[in-house]
Amino acid sequence: MSYSKQDLKDLYEGKLPWPRIKEIMSRPKDDDRFEKYVEILQERMPWKEKILLPIGEHLFIVEKGKERIVKCDCGHEFGDYRRNWKLSALIFARDTREKLEEVYPGIKCPWPEFCEVREFYCPGCAALLKVESVPVGYPIIFDFLPDLDAFYSDWLGKPLPHKKEFRDMSQEVTGEWRPKPG
Amino acid sequence: MARGRGIGDRGKTLKQMLEDNRRLLRESGRYAGITKPHILKDDPIKAELFHSRIMSSLIAGRETCKQVSGSPYVREVAELCMGLYTPEGDAVVQSTGIQVHVRLMGDNVTWMIENNYEEDVGIQDGDLFLSNDPVIAGVHAADNYDILPIFWKGELVAWVCTVIMEMDIGAVSPGCMPCTAVERAGDGLKFDCEKIGSNDKIRRDFEVRIEMGLDLPDLFLLDRKGAVAANIRVREDIKEIIREFGLGYFKKATRELIEEERLNQIARIKQRTIPGRYRDIIPFEIYMSTIPASWLPSRKDMIRLIPMQMDILPEGRLVIDFDGIGEWGWHAYNPTTKALWGGLSIAVVQTLSYDGRANLGSLLPCDIKTPPVDSLFNPSQIKKLATGNPWPSMIDVFSLWCGMLGTSFYMRGFREETFNYVSGSGWQLAGYDQFGNKRPMLAGGPGTFGAGATGVCDGVDTGGWLATPETDVGNWEVWELFMPEMYMSRMLSPYSVGYGRYRSGISMGTMDMLHRLTLGITSGAIGAAHDRIIPNIGLFGGYPGGKRNSFLVRYRNFQDLVNNRLPLVHEVGHPKEFLSYPHGEIMYFDYMPPCMEVFDKDVYVVDNSSAGGLGDPIEREPALQKTDLDNGLTNEEISRNMYCIAVHYDEKAKEWSVDDGETRKLRAAKRKERLSRGVPVEQYWRQARQLILDKKLDPLLQEAYRSSMKLSQGFTRDYKDFWGLPDDFAF
Repeated sequence: MSYSKQDLKDLYEGKLPWPRIKEIMSRPKDDDRFEKYVEILQERMPWKEKILLPIGEHLFIVEKGKERIVKCDCGHEFGDYRRNWKLSALIFARDTREKLEEVYPGIKCPWPEFCEVREFYCPGCAALLKVESVPVGYPIIFDFLPDLDAFYSDWLGKPLPHKKEFRDMSQEVTGEWRPKPG
Repeated sequence: MARGRGIGDRGKTLKQMLEDNRRLLRESGRYAGITKPHILKDDPIKAELFHSRIMSSLIAGRETCKQVSGSPYVREVAELCMGLYTPEGDAVVQSTGIQVHVRLMGDNVTWMIENNYEEDVGIQDGDLFLSNDPVIAGVHAADNYDILPIFWKGELVAWVCTVIMEMDIGAVSPGCMPCTAVERAGDGLKFDCEKIGSNDKIRRDFEVRIEMGLDLPDLFLLDRKGAVAANIRVREDIKEIIREFGLGYFKKATRELIEEERLNQIARIKQRTIPGRYRDIIPFEIYMSTIPASWLPSRKDMIRLIPMQMDILPEGRLVIDFDGIGEWGWHAYNPTTKALWGGLSIAVVQTLSYDGRANLGSLLPCDIKTPPVDSLFNPSQIKKLATGNPWPSMIDVFSLWCGMLGTSFYMRGFREETFNYVSGSGWQLAGYDQFGNKRPMLAGGPGTFGAGATGVCDGVDTGGWLATPETDVGNWEVWELFMPEMYMSRMLSPYSVGYGRYRSGISMGTMDMLHRLTLGITSGAIGAAHDRIIPNIGLFGGYPGGKRNSFLVRYRNFQDLVNNRLPLVHEVGHPKEFLSYPHGEIMYFDYMPPCMEVFDKDVYVVDNSSAGGLGDPIEREPALQKTDLDNGLTNEEISRNMYCIAVHYDEKAKEWSVDDGETRKLRAAKRKERLSRGVPVEQYWRQARQLILDKKLDPLLQEAYRSSMKLSQGFTRDYKDFWGLPDDFAF
């Protein structure tokens, strides 16, 4: 089971009508999807680093030297993929009724006393990368930390060079922000 | 080999079979210890025939039930499902229909075995069992499981189960999903794997109990008769299948079907997802401080945090962890741990195992870690609590779980499978219907929420109701015959949408007027709508749909309005304007509507919202927006404000056009605005941290954090680590 790259490009670019999409959804899945997906995305990028994993509409984990970093398609780099990329983004918190009503007017508006809608932008291209709706005071969510080495080694059978420990390193970022004693 | 005293395989007791089966799974990691499955592979045509014969029998049984039953839930909404189970209670094949119960039906069987029914109660050919207690296995008491053993020459070889949702279970008013139940007795009648008949016949004394205990005994008993007829039909079909394929083949093949599905599920996980750690948060809100309640401690407002972590492990397992969840409460919304499996079943069947082969094997690679004791999902005194309506606390959990899995599909390249969903609000009623009968009433048609956007196209309009994939929400005219209501309108709401490069589906709101009602009380139903905090359900830059609301409109003088031909309420319209309707009082419930009296000509309004959009809204293809505009699904305001698309309506051509130049300018300005509004996260972090240190959060939120920290050291540590709080910090 396999699709041509052109089929997949049409799918990703929204060129297929719903009946055809439904047909693809209903058929058995294609085993080479990931490889073709990454090839298609890589061809679109203005930069050369190898894509290891797309993690959003604009964001990719890429191989840069011996490191693996999160990179926007515009070229902006967010640092090690094991640190929540959001901590290196720009944030706009909709924390008042006025700000919330720009998106959710009138009766559609959540309560600003309880709910904060956080928007994370790329500092390079201003793309809206993630909208996060959470109770006020909730830590910024690290949506996804991939086990990249297990994925490439165990599932794809193509181990990556420069193995990395699978652990959340975000605290290194917020640790730097803590007020220094004294 | 001489038979032992048991009714199971080779004279074993069912308990021995269950213990053996569990041991084999534990020791080998494979269902029933099947290390070399071959029965199905040796003759795939025979195997396919075998599976399809069972499946078609279950589907035919389900149709039989629909024909016998007279209840609108069965006949109109088809909220029922059938399944075939091994002697130990393991799901082999499911019919079409509501897939919540894949494992739960069998868990009732397992419970009977564990509780020594074989000896103490007796299990014989033709015995009829009924169960609806979520503490044993189930989601809410409205779901009734009719269970029938299948014997072959004196040996119990399988079970067949039918589940039906009932409108009346004798619960405290109003309705069958009572949000007013604050004590266990309020849940209604409970049948704890009760033997309600023998020799294929329902006992008369059981019927008497129903006749004396329910407002709608006829519908309840008709459903039982429908379920019993369906079960008998399947039983006889299974005997025919055994006759044709042989008992040995039947026993081995049913077990191999489970093991085969377990292996397939692991293969699907490895083919479609990415291993790693996924995290999200689901708040659960409940506002009961002012409601009438029999048990006074229930009169309390509370928010509970439900952090969720899904780990996809390298071996292809999914593990769900709710560490950090807050405490239980005196309300109807405490799910049992079994109920969580119901939520997971329905999500798994529709995201991964949708090829008609779903069974226990679909769930064996999944694990739900036992939630902390005395949390909302694991109250230690669950037997003393109401469990009548656990969906409000649970349904968004699995909405967001689908989003997590959808994220994974997207990253793997299966963008077309990206998906999430939401639930919404509704109303339930008790009182005298238009025929003078006092009874509970719950229409089965609020499931019209827009599904989340996919990674390749907009979400399906009104297609986001995961609970039952086949719902057609019934024929509304039938509900009008059955309840004292008239449907005023069902309107697609442009403002219900989760905006994004691809938008969510559009939700449909409903308005129905109470008509020929002489006495009624009402409350909210389903209840996932009482969210002052909207669910975190937007993907990759898409927004979640907005707030979900319920309203009650009470006209000042209905007859005058009609006589003067003044407009009745028939649509929500612009969300900023609805509350200013001039001819009546609008009661606005941004929380679960409490129990209250309603009157003839009052209007129920359900203002649904959709799941999440996907991608940056200002990257939406203008042509998609033009199509939506031409179809009347959106408007100029949304196009400009949310998508930065400039549009004009051409009166002559009767269609919309996009101004490409102006659109480019709007989008450039929006990017500029973002760069000027956005601040480095460090700056935000310092301000938010100070707010927390100064304890300036709303008291309800502080109590929510306190509750989670009380139950979880891990959550407490993570919270303090993230915000850099001192060790002795406490809310």
